[in-house]
Amino acid sequence: MHTFPRPAEATVSVAREPVEGECAACGAQELRSYPVLSEGGWFRVVKCQRCLVSKSREPWNLAGSITFLSEQV
Amino acid sequence: MSTVETGTQAEQPLLRDIPEDEFEARYGCDRFTATVLANRYRYTVEHMCAGLLSNAFSIILRDWYDFAATIAGPPRDNYSMPAVSNSLVLFLGTMTDAIRNTVQEYGPEKLRPGDVLMCNDPYRTGTHVNDVNFVRPIFHEEEIAGFVNLQAHMLDMGGVVPGGFSGTKRNVYENGVVIAPQLLYAEDRAVTSGWSLIFDNARFGDVLLPDIKTIYENLRLGERLLSETLERYGIRAFHGAMRYACDIAGEAMHHALRALPDGDYAGEDRIDCDGVDDEEEFTVRVTIRKRGGRAEVDLSGSSRQARTSINAGWLDAKTAVGVAFKFLIDRETPFTSATFRDIDIVLPDGSLVSALPPDGAIFLYWESTMPLVNAILRALEDAVGERAVGGDYGSLSIHSASGATADGTPWATMAQCGGEHGPWGATSTGDADSYNVFYLANNIDPATEAIEADFPVLVMRKEYVADTAGAGYHRGGAAVLKDTLWTEGVEHYSSPMHVKSASGFGVGGGGDGRNGAVWVFEPEAFDPSALIPDTPEAYAGTTPVAGVLDPETHALREDGEYFFFARVPMWQTEPNTVFRYLTNGGGGWGNPFERDPERVKRDVRDGYVTIEGAERDYGVVITGDPDRDPEGLEIDSAATEAKRAEPAG
Repeated sequence: MHTFPRPAEATVSVAREPVEGECAACGAQELRSYPVLSEGGWFRVVKCQRCLVSKSREPWNLAGSITFLSEQV
Repeated sequence: MSTVETGTQAEQPLLRDIPEDEFEARYGCDRFTATVLANRYRYTVEHMCAGLLSNAFSIILRDWYDFAATIAGPPRDNYSMPAVSNSLVLFLGTMTDAIRNTVQEYGPEKLRPGDVLMCNDPYRTGTHVNDVNFVRPIFHEEEIAGFVNLQAHMLDMGGVVPGGFSGTKRNVYENGVVIAPQLLYAEDRAVTSGWSLIFDNARFGDVLLPDIKTIYENLRLGERLLSETLERYGIRAFHGAMRYACDIAGEAMHHALRALPDGDYAGEDRIDCDGVDDEEEFTVRVTIRKRGGRAEVDLSGSSRQARTSINAGWLDAKTAVGVAFKFLIDRETPFTSATFRDIDIVLPDGSLVSALPPDGAIFLYWESTMPLVNAILRALEDAVGERAVGGDYGSLSIHSASGATADGTPWATMAQCGGEHGPWGATSTGDADSYNVFYLANNIDPATEAIEADFPVLVMRKEYVADTAGAGYHRGGAAVLKDTLWTEGVEHYSSPMHVKSASGFGVGGGGDGRNGAVWVFEPEAFDPSALIPDTPEAYAGTTPVAGVLDPETHALREDGEYFFFARVPMWQTEPNTVFRYLTNGGGGWGNPFERDPERVKRDVRDGYVTIEGAERDYGVVITGDPDRDPEGLEIDSAATEAKRAEPAG
């Protein structure tokens, strides 16, 4: 499998990337993109930070950010 | 496939209220049939487990129930999990995704009737390498109709520690052999290379062989039961009932979430250190954002992964989140993959509970996911009100030992002689039990007779310790003290991970349980003609394994010195050495000064609370002698009233 280094910082966090647009449910302009783990596995979501409604949910890798060298064979 | 949520969470009619024709169209059968089949699926996984439990040879399956069975739907239903056995809780969330990940990587199009896939990679399927997922497809008219699955703990899977249970391994290479998805049986014929991969890398192959064969037979049992169901009810009802079982669970969690007040809730818990040194504590932090029927559990701000094998993987975190929410707000419906339908988990890479290979070694994963459960229980304490749950004993403090018999035959005991069983926290329904496996497990207690028959050890005592339980209107469970006397020279691994801070936290005004510790009594440190007493003086000659202790007397002391568990990675002991494990106490629920004095008196009579503890922790003044005249104890009502009227603090 790939080698993933141990984080240098003592704590780790998920970055939420801002996305243009407004939430269709509540109208807030607080959309963010980030990965989530839920029913069905990993997804890349664009999600309203005020009401938690997803604008989109794209299935992601089976093991999230973990990838395997065998995929490159 | 991308999906878009509709946005508003307008209430949908409950499944029980939708018209029959609509139900039939959605689930391919009538409501009664769907219910019968959902129960049939649960019956099937329980039957598979009963078959394995009653025929297994290894101590970890036979005496611990360290396995679980599930049913998974076909690839086109994204391997949804409508049923999981009432066995090891730690596998509930992992197996929702493990089957998908195993089959998809192998290739569902390559599977044939009679195949069995296996995979044990913590980063693909969760838990640790000893837990092998065995997956068998069920075919109907040449298409995969679903899967029956058993994940079971193998007695050994190689690596540098016999049996594997240690928090001191530094990478995946020391941890044990990793099995990527591959066949163990092809069309019911053994795949020799798969078996050899296990036997050539793992110890105790003579036990693994019959255990895996038993697993195979119980997969066949599950396949037979489901094939009968398919034949009788047809494929539409078969799959419809799977969806129904999941939808019911998803609906229940959705409505449980709706009933919680909207808000942002934060909580945290920690473990003492990893196996390198005691300079870095590890904290699991959660922020729960709850809106309507949705929740997001964000673990940002948690500690990075540890340097040794105390980490957990991303699927273990998923299990812990699901279990904590079920524990608090949705206790009535079975756990399925849809438990997570309205819960998103935001999980930073490389954290203590989402460790990365190869240096984020995962073995004692529960030691890191129990703090995640605790963090959620703490975060939602106020939001759930009376349904709040106190913390349990927090760490298995797992003990494993190994050696060889006189003829050189190797042996290993695991999770039998440490602090594996202990108290839970109290709830609104009453006092907590004092002898369970922790919240993320649901195992059985290995019988003392079996332990002593199999290994050179005598179990000298398992008993509750007074004044260790968190005080409360409902009392937490009492800590368990266990002494084991090893009659031969033995090598031990001992992993107490949560003794610096209280794991058994109280809720609603309840008190915390007392912290535990582990000691080694070398032969010269005790009188072998009697049980070793549990008094502060008894510890002077001991070697502490872990605990916050007086540096001179080695007795428990809240402001004492922490003894680092892995300063001796492996303990080599002489014959007639005793290991003593004292678990943490469970947390109390509610104000202890409002507890009925009669209940406090009963606790004094039964040894859960001393007379001094009754007055200090409950404000109840009791007279008499609990040891010599337990039925003669009396409550001094006037003194109790005065004591309870004193200003707090």
